[in-house]
Amino acid sequence: MIIAGRGLRVYFPVKGVRGASVRAVDDVDVEVKEGEIVGLVGESGSGKTTLGRALIRLIEPTAGEALFEIPDHELERYDEARERGDAETMKLISSKYSVLRLKGKALKEFRRKVGIVFQDPYSSLDPRMRIADIIAEPMIETGAYDRDKAMEKVVDLLEEVQLPSEFADRYPHELSGGQRQRVAIARGIATDPRFVVLDEPTSALDVSVQAEILELLRELRETHRMAMLFITHNISVVSYMADRIYVMYAGKLMEKGPKAEVIRKPAHPYTQALISAVPEVGRLMRRVVLKGDVPSLVSPPKGCRFHPRCPVAIATCGWTADEVAEALKRVLEARYPELSQRARLRPLGELELEVRGLSAPELKDVVERESEFNRALKSIQSVSEEGGRVMVRLTKHSEPRMVEVARGHLAACHLLSASS
Amino acid sequence: MAKGGLTSRILTPERKLSLQVFFSNKLAVVGLVIVLAYVADALIVQFAPWLIGLKYPFKVIPDYSNPVPQPPSWKHPFGTTYPGIDLLRAVVKAIRFDLGLSVVIVVPGALLGIVIGIVATYFGGWVDDVLMRLTDIFFSVPYLVLAIAIGYALGRNITSMVIALIIVWWPLYARYTRSVTLQVKELTFIEAARAAGASNYKIMFRHILPNALPPVLVQMSMDLGTIMLTISGLAFIGFLPVANIPELGYLSTLGLNYINTAPWAVIVPGVFIVIFAVAVYLLGMGLMDVINPRRRSSL
Amino acid sequence: MSAGREPIVTVRNLRLWYYTRRGVYKALNGVDLEVMRGEVLGVAGESGCGKSTLGLTIMGLLPRNAAIVDGEVLVDGFDVVKPLREYYKKSKRFRPDKNEDVLKRLHKEMMRIRGVKVTMVFQEPMTALNPVMPVGYQIAEVVLQHNMSLLAKRRLARARATKDDVKEALNFLRANDYAGLIEYVKAKGLEGLEDQMIAIWRRRDLHDLVKEIRVLSLCCDPVNPIAESGLRYTARTNKLPAAPVIRQLVRRELVKEGYRKAAEFLGLLGMPEPEKVVRMYPHELSGGMRQRVVIATAMINNPELVILDEPTSALDVTVQAGILELLGELKQQTNAAFIFISHDLSILYQVSDRVAIMYAGKVVEVGPRDAVFKEPKHPYTQMLMEAVPTLEPHELKGIKGEVPDLRNPPKGCMFHPRCPYAMPICREREPPMVDLGGGHRVSCWLYAGGDRK
Repeated sequence: MIIAGRGLRVYFPVKGVRGASVRAVDDVDVEVKEGEIVGLVGESGSGKTTLGRALIRLIEPTAGEALFEIPDHELERYDEARERGDAETMKLISSKYSVLRLKGKALKEFRRKVGIVFQDPYSSLDPRMRIADIIAEPMIETGAYDRDKAMEKVVDLLEEVQLPSEFADRYPHELSGGQRQRVAIARGIATDPRFVVLDEPTSALDVSVQAEILELLRELRETHRMAMLFITHNISVVSYMADRIYVMYAGKLMEKGPKAEVIRKPAHPYTQALISAVPEVGRLMRRVVLKGDVPSLVSPPKGCRFHPRCPVAIATCGWTADEVAEALKRVLEARYPELSQRARLRPLGELELEVRGLSAPELKDVVERESEFNRALKSIQSVSEEGGRVMVRLTKHSEPRMVEVARGHLAACHLLSASS
Repeated sequence: MAKGGLTSRILTPERKLSLQVFFSNKLAVVGLVIVLAYVADALIVQFAPWLIGLKYPFKVIPDYSNPVPQPPSWKHPFGTTYPGIDLLRAVVKAIRFDLGLSVVIVVPGALLGIVIGIVATYFGGWVDDVLMRLTDIFFSVPYLVLAIAIGYALGRNITSMVIALIIVWWPLYARYTRSVTLQVKELTFIEAARAAGASNYKIMFRHILPNALPPVLVQMSMDLGTIMLTISGLAFIGFLPVANIPELGYLSTLGLNYINTAPWAVIVPGVFIVIFAVAVYLLGMGLMDVINPRRRSSL
Repeated sequence: MSAGREPIVTVRNLRLWYYTRRGVYKALNGVDLEVMRGEVLGVAGESGCGKSTLGLTIMGLLPRNAAIVDGEVLVDGFDVVKPLREYYKKSKRFRPDKNEDVLKRLHKEMMRIRGVKVTMVFQEPMTALNPVMPVGYQIAEVVLQHNMSLLAKRRLARARATKDDVKEALNFLRANDYAGLIEYVKAKGLEGLEDQMIAIWRRRDLHDLVKEIRVLSLCCDPVNPIAESGLRYTARTNKLPAAPVIRQLVRRELVKEGYRKAAEFLGLLGMPEPEKVVRMYPHELSGGMRQRVVIATAMINNPELVILDEPTSALDVTVQAGILELLGELKQQTNAAFIFISHDLSILYQVSDRVAIMYAGKVVEVGPRDAVFKEPKHPYTQMLMEAVPTLEPHELKGIKGEVPDLRNPPKGCMFHPRCPYAMPICREREPPMVDLGGGHRVSCWLYAGGDRK
């Protein structure tokens, strides 16, 4: 395994609010094999960009581990130790492969073996530096080559990314977006890294240019045997490039598996919604299922982070009394105005709700009728009259664990564990 | 692989555009001309005073035989001031003095401020807090009071004045550099440099500094005018005890007693201060147009 | 809504040059295009093709250094670019400041049209909205600008209507007889009431009972007597009364009414809890909600033409799907024409009736959606289709070469340097638009009898 992230968390403190943090990446495992392209997909707020940077220590993870160039059997041992809670063994193994504690020369060595290509070709190149210097910088800074040798290599690299060698003396503003991105790629592979993170490398480019860049990346992977983490929000692009796909939502991993599996037989409701939302020439989209937006990362939804928007959520997905109260209130206002006038809802704690003004049978009736479309109501476990008021109790929720759907294809969804 | 001759390498399309933008601004050109004239004056007086017939380039020569200020005449095109100092010669010498002093103050002050500004902003956290609070402290000191204090401690001379003004001036540059650095710091190529393994020092001075410099340089050039006003002001109130120095503010004081009968004695040196300040301001505005990317491309 | 056969916008041989310090960019080089009433025209192209410039030209929102070198842009019969074109043809040397004077006069005339007949939706909802004003106010503002009298009428109608009036009106609604309702309202002198009632009735997120309650509440809402005469004046003249105190009172009433209308409209656009949303500020809303607000400002005055410039490019794909669905509904429910500008062909497939492909300032192909997408005729269109990645991956082919430098566009056909089928004539002369039948037109020598020698 070229690189493996285990339990990675990246939390950013919120200014001015003590103890609150934006949980951009929350307990994510990811691994990239030698020479493979892993596609990391997600929308805004999913944490995919942060994860990519944390993996190569451009951002310091708040917790978790990143293991580089770790033999498969050692990784297995690490995972087993993690299951058991065996901190000793974990520490032993991570001390050999972890990148999080590298310093000085060892850190430079790591920087030589990994590369990154950024999204925006307009701001990722220093406007005051010549192209040759831009491309040579990683080679010189990591000590891979001295200045003269680096300049020689620059010529080779320009050729590899199909740019004329005259460009070496030019400045970024003289190049087009596609040309600049080629320079960024040349810089990313300059030190002949074993692992390259590509953060939306083609999102800022025209589609015809994108096609060329993607083709180039594929060729480079062939000739250099580089492993890549390809981060993008565009599922069609990831379908073209990746061997395996990881799907993230609100800082958590929802699904992972071989490309064809995830695209053709998505197991997670979020992945399904995501894929159905992709427009394609020749196919008109079906009715859109996803409402609402990406949740707050400061206080994310409990249980499964996707549950407030999930069209097939069930009782254990993470519903709280507040959410149920809100859902009830809305449905009463919209469809049962008479009841809505009478009802007084009060959440008591996370799983308990007090209702006054309605009788238990009335409430049960509403719940029965509306729970298909208001999934929050599915979490109601019991409705009972107690001393002049109706007490509603909710099912306990839990975070879904990654469940294997097929070989190498896993998803974190209660619907899947329920059936298995 | 040089294309074309040396001219087309130096005069790239971008540089041509810069010149075009600058020269289309008539006022800026005027400013440039005036500033260049002052610089020429300073250089000649410093290195080749004999070229313009100055025997004593570094001090003004009084003529006690004719101390009363005389109006402008053929012999004294700007007139004279008390005691018998030919204003034309005096102003020419004073320009070198004042300009030199301004540069000696602005450049070290700017350097100090820029370094502090970049370091503070780049590192953030407590480094930023400490350095910025330090900056704030110095920022709040009024230059006059400080100059007097230092003058009292170290004696009232040019060195004290220079020290005082540098101390008071650098916070401006720290602040200014800070705002530019904050913008540049967020640009992706900084992250790219870190990913390439560049050290913090490299990033600050090879990446951030060159990108932060242009607006700061513009500010520096405009400050030359402000500084000159300040120096003249200090000299005017008699900060410098030495007599017969070629300094525009000081020259103004010489004619003070005769201001009703010989106004030119006060006005002429003052005018030359103001001209410089205005010229350097116009030059600065012209330069700002050049470096502002949006103003460059539109018409 | 069926698409009419007459055009609301006709662009003929439009040529536009941007004069900059870096040279003269020939941004539009002879654009020929029509937009039919009630249809959705997709305009596709990559960066630099001129699609955004085209949209801005139709709106008359050009910078001072944009010269109209030739051509006309007829928006509902009114030639938007005429003064600019005349200035250019008359002047010996193009001067942006003189051009600006012409633009200013044009703006005055365009004010009648903009916001009410023709509206525009831009890419970035965050910058299109004023961050220091509640969104409801920004929507209300658009109505205030152009249709004050409607707001005044609404308010007065609610003040005059009695319980019986609304009860009777409800019967019309229950029978879905909107025409009858309008007549009834007119007869009773309660114009403005139907606007509110129909907006409530058409919402889909409310139960019928709730809707009935709300309709019944549209009565017996007396208005401040001082403001009343002012409101009547505004209802008649579509202007604010001049008298100072009355003016302020009337304005306040109108703004309040504007908020109501904004909430109603947002409800129609599928925004949850619109009454709450109208009081919120843009930064409190998500990207999708903001774009709905912008769409609301564009559509609330029932325009005849809406230009959307990359309206979903800044949104996540799941949010984008919602907006596209919304546009589909709006297309059904109104008779506005839409120009949808995007670089993303897959999006255009979802919403367009007809599609125009632009390259280097020209329309290279245009026609009904299926004709262009399923059987693209222009080499550029064909290559573009092959470059778009799909869920089921196929071999991607890019287009070699670069977009031409518009300061020095190629002679003849703009695409010839990159075209695999380029013929000698392509390098010499601009190809004409060839009609392939069924409204499908291509600008390419392959179909104009060019010799393959």
